[in-house]
Amino acid sequence: MCPIAMAPAAGTGPEAGFRGVIRVTFGTAAVPAAEGDAGMAGHDARFDAADREALASLIAVLEQARVGVRLVLAGPPADVAAAAAAAAACGLLEEEVTLLANESGRRLVFCAHCRTANTTVQGVGSEVDCEGCATTLAFSGHFSRRIGGYLGFAAHAEEAA
Amino acid sequence: MTATALQAKVHPAVEGGLLLEVADLSVQTASVTSITFTDPAGTALPGYVPGSHLVVQYGDGANAYSLTGSGRHPSEYTISVLRVDDGAGGSLAMHRLAVGDLVRVSHPRSAFAPVATARHHLLIAAGIGITPMLSHARAAAERDSEATLVYVYRPGQGAHVQEARELLGPALAECTDRGSFQEELTRRLTDQKLGTHLYVCGPAAFMDTVLARARELGWPQGRLHSEPFGAAELDQGEPFTVNLARSGVTLEVPAGVSLLEALENAGKGVPNMCRKGVCGECYLPVLRGAPLHRDLYLSEQEKSANTTMMCCVSRSLDQELELDL
Repeated sequence: MCPIAMAPAAGTGPEAGFRGVIRVTFGTAAVPAAEGDAGMAGHDARFDAADREALASLIAVLEQARVGVRLVLAGPPADVAAAAAAAAACGLLEEEVTLLANESGRRLVFCAHCRTANTTVQGVGSEVDCEGCATTLAFSGHFSRRIGGYLGFAAHAEEAA
Repeated sequence: MTATALQAKVHPAVEGGLLLEVADLSVQTASVTSITFTDPAGTALPGYVPGSHLVVQYGDGANAYSLTGSGRHPSEYTISVLRVDDGAGGSLAMHRLAVGDLVRVSHPRSAFAPVATARHHLLIAAGIGITPMLSHARAAAERDSEATLVYVYRPGQGAHVQEARELLGPALAECTDRGSFQEELTRRLTDQKLGTHLYVCGPAAFMDTVLARARELGWPQGRLHSEPFGAAELDQGEPFTVNLARSGVTLEVPAGVSLLEALENAGKGVPNMCRKGVCGECYLPVLRGAPLHRDLYLSEQEKSANTTMMCCVSRSLDQELELDL
């Protein structure tokens, strides 16, 4: 189900029934060029991060949109993934969403041991200390699109104590 | 029971299926009749996914028909059959059935299921294409999911119109001419909330028109679902020869007989299910020769490679085909 949307602030969203391209950027990412979307109406929005308010605002825009719409998300991987998860919950298909994640940006690492969502700028395949339980977490390709983050699990757990 | 209804020879498509009794016949229109089957012993029937079809044997042949119920805990199976006077004879045989006749049928098969994550189902039917849509609409009503039906039929020729009205109320749009349908279609295709999936069933040309218009209006492939059993019947084709390389057997496939049937007649049956070029079950490796691909399963690329074929519908462009069988 699509999470309950907050009413969009007056004058910020596209008109009801929008079927063009919605381009959302997080942080300082550049607004992506409308590749392959030539001739489609556009709506641009920029947020500092994919926090609760930004996602509510995105959901409000998507609730007004109609099938035919395309969504482009650009910014750090954590924000792009969080927005993609919200879009999927609103019913968007993969084919309708373009993800442009800045690979050096922050990522979400979900701790398998205490369920804390950690943020790190370390790349995939590295380690991070969990802010919740201090376990050193390894994370690699195990990614949840629903959560928008990587599975972090105790690094070196299989090595002799 | 009429003597002609039940054939001694079980058609491969209904093997391992059910033996059911005609419990009711109901005339829908001048050319469409609904047939209800029940278990002669009165036991409940296997449930099915909405949009499923049933293969029913008639004489030496067998045809697939959409089930019109929701599929949940069925005590009966109902199909609606359009009489096609110049067809292969299946629909005429169905129209000759009488209450009490026994027929062999397959288990229900799902090839047109509703998408579980859909937030809305937009159903589009033309003519006899109403049958799987009725199943979808019933299932949506039972599951409390949202569905809209656009139903195109010729004036006075609409099967199940009354049931559709009762099921859907204001969520039913009826069109009885091409112009009003085109308008309705464009209106619907441009005003669906995100998460809507489209399902279409009807004559092949009708489905093509609807799907092409949807793509034009930005609908991605993942939202589009069509029922290929609405496709037109294939012609009889030219006779050809197959050489089974591993068995060292050569078979003639006459016009009007499918390669699958020819293999079965020779005791070389291969796994198969839909027998309509849809499911991909009866795939065969081709060693030599160019098949005449007539299936809906292989991609264009796979077809042009000429290394596999669906033996239920495809034939041969060359006089002889060599198969790895």
